[in-house]
Amino acid sequence: MTRCRIRPSTRLLAALLLACCAGLAQARDLVVVVSARSSVEALQPEQVAAIFLGQAPRFPNGAVASALDQPLGTFERDQFYLRVTGKTPALLRAHWSKMVFTGRGQPPRELAGNAAVRKAVADDPALIGYIEREALDPSVRQVLLVH
Amino acid sequence: MLFPSLAVLPAPACAGALLLVLAGAACAETGTPGWTFSGFGTVGVARSDERQADFVASVLQGDGAGRTARWSRHVDSRLGGQLDFSFTPRWAAVVQVVTEQRADNSYQPRLEWANVKYQVTPELALRLGRIALPVFMAADYRKVGYAHPSIRPPVEVYGVLPLANSDGADLSWHWSGDAMHGITQVLVGRTGVALFDGGRLRGKGIAALSHTVERGAFSARASVLTARMSIDVFPGLFGALEGFGAQGRDLKHRLDIERERATGVSLGLDYDPGRWFVRGEAGYTKVDGYLGSTRSGYLSAGWRHGNLTPYAGYARVRGVMPHGPHTLALDGLPAPAAARGAALNAALAELLMRSVPSQSTLSAGLRWDAAPDVALKLQREHVTTRSGSRGMFINSVPGYRSGRTAHVTSAALDFVF
Repeated sequence: MTRCRIRPSTRLLAALLLACCAGLAQARDLVVVVSARSSVEALQPEQVAAIFLGQAPRFPNGAVASALDQPLGTFERDQFYLRVTGKTPALLRAHWSKMVFTGRGQPPRELAGNAAVRKAVADDPALIGYIEREALDPSVRQVLLVH
Repeated sequence: MLFPSLAVLPAPACAGALLLVLAGAACAETGTPGWTFSGFGTVGVARSDERQADFVASVLQGDGAGRTARWSRHVDSRLGGQLDFSFTPRWAAVVQVVTEQRADNSYQPRLEWANVKYQVTPELALRLGRIALPVFMAADYRKVGYAHPSIRPPVEVYGVLPLANSDGADLSWHWSGDAMHGITQVLVGRTGVALFDGGRLRGKGIAALSHTVERGAFSARASVLTARMSIDVFPGLFGALEGFGAQGRDLKHRLDIERERATGVSLGLDYDPGRWFVRGEAGYTKVDGYLGSTRSGYLSAGWRHGNLTPYAGYARVRGVMPHGPHTLALDGLPAPAAARGAALNAALAELLMRSVPSQSTLSAGLRWDAAPDVALKLQREHVTTRSGSRGMFINSVPGYRSGRTAHVTSAALDFVF
């Protein structure tokens, strides 16, 4: 996480740093998105967690759901799982080890970056992904804001 | 011969090379939707100060730490590789091969899983082939060290029914409610595993039902398994009993395990909100024969501080002898018959001491998630055998003294790829 320390010596610098913090904080909010063509309107964090952890194969409205991940080690991925499922990268790896080696499923397909996830989700109402809030556009619908 | 080179090369090295070849091939193919390769492994050493028997992670091993050697690398070390194929969105197949020390001390890889899956709907799947038995919370992934907080699942619970997989079919139903979801699985099949001394364990008519529920940080699994079991490790003893008149035949009939009913029931609960976890399981097994019945359970907990997870637990198994007398009545027999009978009684007592386990383990350890996909663990256990049995130890010396505490120290490096 980016840390900003406000130095009392220069007001201007302090103001700039504050602005930078605020901007970063906003940019770092994540949203869970589905296609604008999907009939899914909003999801609870537990429902999102169940889909991304391979525990629920459908959206609550009955439509088949397929999750998309961002690459390993990215801020988006680590923060999404920590905030929505409470799992650190190591716990998430342990979870998927259980799933894969018991034949219960494979982890979500990975796409590189917010734009790639947004484009794939926009094109297919069965997909669900997470992107930075700033990357939102009308092709996708926000179903959960991740603070 | 699937792995002919194993006869000459050190087995782990060979299996490792095989998996690396597969991994290399898979890496070249990453991105194609057709198949994925993944694997897991553990490099472990264990030390036990009990010199009269070997400490092992599974009674299906050849030797362990303590009697054979103070330090053993065989207790926890293993390597597994898995190929997942998906042909269409509905048809998939999986093959998992594991190499670990077997009863004959070799590391010959074993086909752990090999099945074809047909996804009838996103919720309902049918599998045909070799499938891991869904008993206990973690039985179907118990060899994946990385997925466990501790070095190994408690032997008191996971070691009592040494059936790992079955050849047959299963149906699993994935269900979801508002906040709760889970899997209900029904399985039928049969199995055969090699035991020590060239013996085999066979399970036929296996039927199992498992029900897993997850709700947030909470998960639970209940399972029931039944099979007709045969174990032919002691043909000499039971043959001799058969020749020892009516009471010998009666003893053989009650104690020998030949197509006998075996039952296992378990209930496990797990609460894992992320910062800490606590889990407990209770199990009951019963085999109509010399294995008798067991009640077992454990409770363990851990706290996660960054990459470090200290944990502690207590596990116990209590074996109950099969009903009825376990010795031949020798009063009034002519001297040669009485001598033969006394030898058979001694052999029977030894058999029951080895087969009906009672022991408890107090353990504490530390897991360090040193790197992505790698965990390093250090664990200390105090294992006390009870009720005149050798507990879950193997290779005990004649005249083994039960009731003592073995101090076991283990270190393991777990990885997944």
